[in-house]
Amino acid sequence: MTDAPVMYPRKPQRIKGRSIAIIVFLSMAALFFCIPLYVLVVTSFKEMEQIREGAIFSLPARWTWEAWSYAWFDACSGLTCEGLRQGFWNSVAILGPSLVASIALSMVTGYALALWKMKWAGTFLFVLFLCAFVPFQIIMYPLIRLTVSLGIYGSMTAIVFVHTALALPVLTLIFRNFYKDIPEDIIKAAVMDSGSFWRIFIEIILPMSGNILIVVLIMQITSIWNDYLIGVTFGGLGTKPMTVHLANMVTVSTGTVSYNVNMAAALLTAIPPLVIYFVLGKFFVQGIAAGAIKG
Amino acid sequence: MKFAKCNLTAALMLGVSTLAVQAEDLVVYQTWSSPAEVAALNVLNDAVSAQGINWIDITIPHDTGSSVSLLNLVIGGNPPNIFSENNTGVYRDLTGMGLGRDLTEAFTESGAIEHFSAAVLNAITIDGEIRKMPLGVHIDGMLYYNMEVAQAAGVDPTAWGSLDEMYADFEKISAAGYTPLAVGAQQWQIGYLTHAMMATVGGPEVYNALYGAEPDRDVLSSDAVRTVFEWLRKFQEASDEGSVNRDWNMTTNEVITGGALMQIHGDWMKGEWRAAGREAGVDFGCIPVPGYEAVAVTVDGWGALGGQSPEVDAAEMLFAQIVTGAEVNAAFASVKGATPVRNDVPSGALDACSQRVIELLGDNDRQVNNPSVTVDADWSSAIWEVAFNFWSDPEMSVDDAVANLESQYDVIVY
Repeated sequence: MTDAPVMYPRKPQRIKGRSIAIIVFLSMAALFFCIPLYVLVVTSFKEMEQIREGAIFSLPARWTWEAWSYAWFDACSGLTCEGLRQGFWNSVAILGPSLVASIALSMVTGYALALWKMKWAGTFLFVLFLCAFVPFQIIMYPLIRLTVSLGIYGSMTAIVFVHTALALPVLTLIFRNFYKDIPEDIIKAAVMDSGSFWRIFIEIILPMSGNILIVVLIMQITSIWNDYLIGVTFGGLGTKPMTVHLANMVTVSTGTVSYNVNMAAALLTAIPPLVIYFVLGKFFVQGIAAGAIKG
Repeated sequence: MKFAKCNLTAALMLGVSTLAVQAEDLVVYQTWSSPAEVAALNVLNDAVSAQGINWIDITIPHDTGSSVSLLNLVIGGNPPNIFSENNTGVYRDLTGMGLGRDLTEAFTESGAIEHFSAAVLNAITIDGEIRKMPLGVHIDGMLYYNMEVAQAAGVDPTAWGSLDEMYADFEKISAAGYTPLAVGAQQWQIGYLTHAMMATVGGPEVYNALYGAEPDRDVLSSDAVRTVFEWLRKFQEASDEGSVNRDWNMTTNEVITGGALMQIHGDWMKGEWRAAGREAGVDFGCIPVPGYEAVAVTVDGWGALGGQSPEVDAAEMLFAQIVTGAEVNAAFASVKGATPVRNDVPSGALDACSQRVIELLGDNDRQVNNPSVTVDADWSSAIWEVAFNFWSDPEMSVDDAVANLESQYDVIVY
């Protein structure tokens, strides 16, 4: 690879009709996302005085961070005027335990279903498959009752509990399908060597799970961070995630609107999942290519 | 010592109240987060906390017609003590759960009840009981105009005695290079415009027949309803290109920045004018829709939870009395940009637009309530839908609209 011995003259590349079509399509798709993003970004740096003039594509006459700092430090959600900060840390506090609990549980369940012979495994898988398609809205009221009887309704624990429970079916299926592709011989050999369920999991399975973990991490971080309904329904005083704070700021019926602050707040809320994508994006593609979601 | 002092002040301030409260927590569930609204909340909070009530705030934006979050909290066993809610159905549900609380006695005791206008009383009364503490009044269809533009276009909106006189000036305004009437063509805005026009054209009789608890089918094909649709078509034809799906806030900005002469919308428009540093009566004028037979009134009302311990209940009643006190109500309305719910507020404290609203509210025969407190939600949204379809489809005739209304009526109201 490093020192190629023979050089063949490369054919001059010709741009084919097909690649033009692809490029045109991709540029349009990119514009579709970039134009609103552009408006979002420039508006967040404008002053309201300029926004009132109505030219949404114009650049800010004076670039200012005021809307950003207002959104982060001072914006009000009802009587509490501490900006989005509070919601940000709530979201972080919800994200951590939800991630660990949902991934740990589904990973072990998936491993057991895929590699160990169990009674009713087929039925269980089928039920999981069905559960994965039940929309949250349908079981919202029973879940409220359930969390009330567990004594956790209106707390961060409730939000974490619901996130974890709702993620389990899909995640378990993903892990199960990933582990199913592990050659049976490896497991047979491992069983002969030690036979311990946990030891095989920790020493053999876990080290092989890098790719799929990245995929699941990204999926979960995005969905938990962007969730509004679970947070607003199960959260109590002072435990609402960032999205709820954002909605409070942005949703007005008869109040005035500060578009610059709204845009800044929306961007602030969207940044964490974006960062995750940029950092882990390469692994995400690898993970998918490794046969994870293909099932 | 501190409590004794609080109670003394409370008794002094309210004069008539016999309620005494020792530092009690009240959970307040409401929707407001924009700067003027938060300032108004703080007026209330300062007033009640001075009397020993500890306000615990839950803010969830829920002004979308559904009250899912409130009922979730009730089912979850953590219902708020005080809640912002306009929907009559929710109050009936709470009564059904044994959580209703009648405020009649509290307001009789504080004397506030004598100072509420007919529309306010009507809005806060459900099945014969006063269930809401009224906070502020808005007129759903006021006409706000840019005075500078009016001058430049050579028109005087205050001189319009009827809709026809107003319409006669449209050409002149367009010729001067301004949009005569800025509209934000979103379903709810057109819906509001429709019921405001029903009040304007039809007066209480037609309005209440259409938006009453039991709507009258015959009124659907009446001249008044037809006339309203004809006006909607004229307004639609006169609106600018950017009107499609525009927030009312941006529509108001169109008037503020001089692109359009006027806007007919709820008088919360004042908030945007004030946020832009403009002054009522100097930079912008406000009049009821010319030739109005009646004005449609929105009353922001909060409810109180029943079935509480005597201490909490006393705190809730004290809360209701404090926030409807004359001074607190005046201060609240002034910072929020609303009009006070009481008629005994010194007029010096009000801007030109609120004074006009107080005048309008003085006439009990020419005020009707926002449909949300009077009418079945399905019927109300059916009217919205027909009106918005009519607005969005220039091919649709008034006959089509009436026929649509009738078929919706047959499905929903029977």
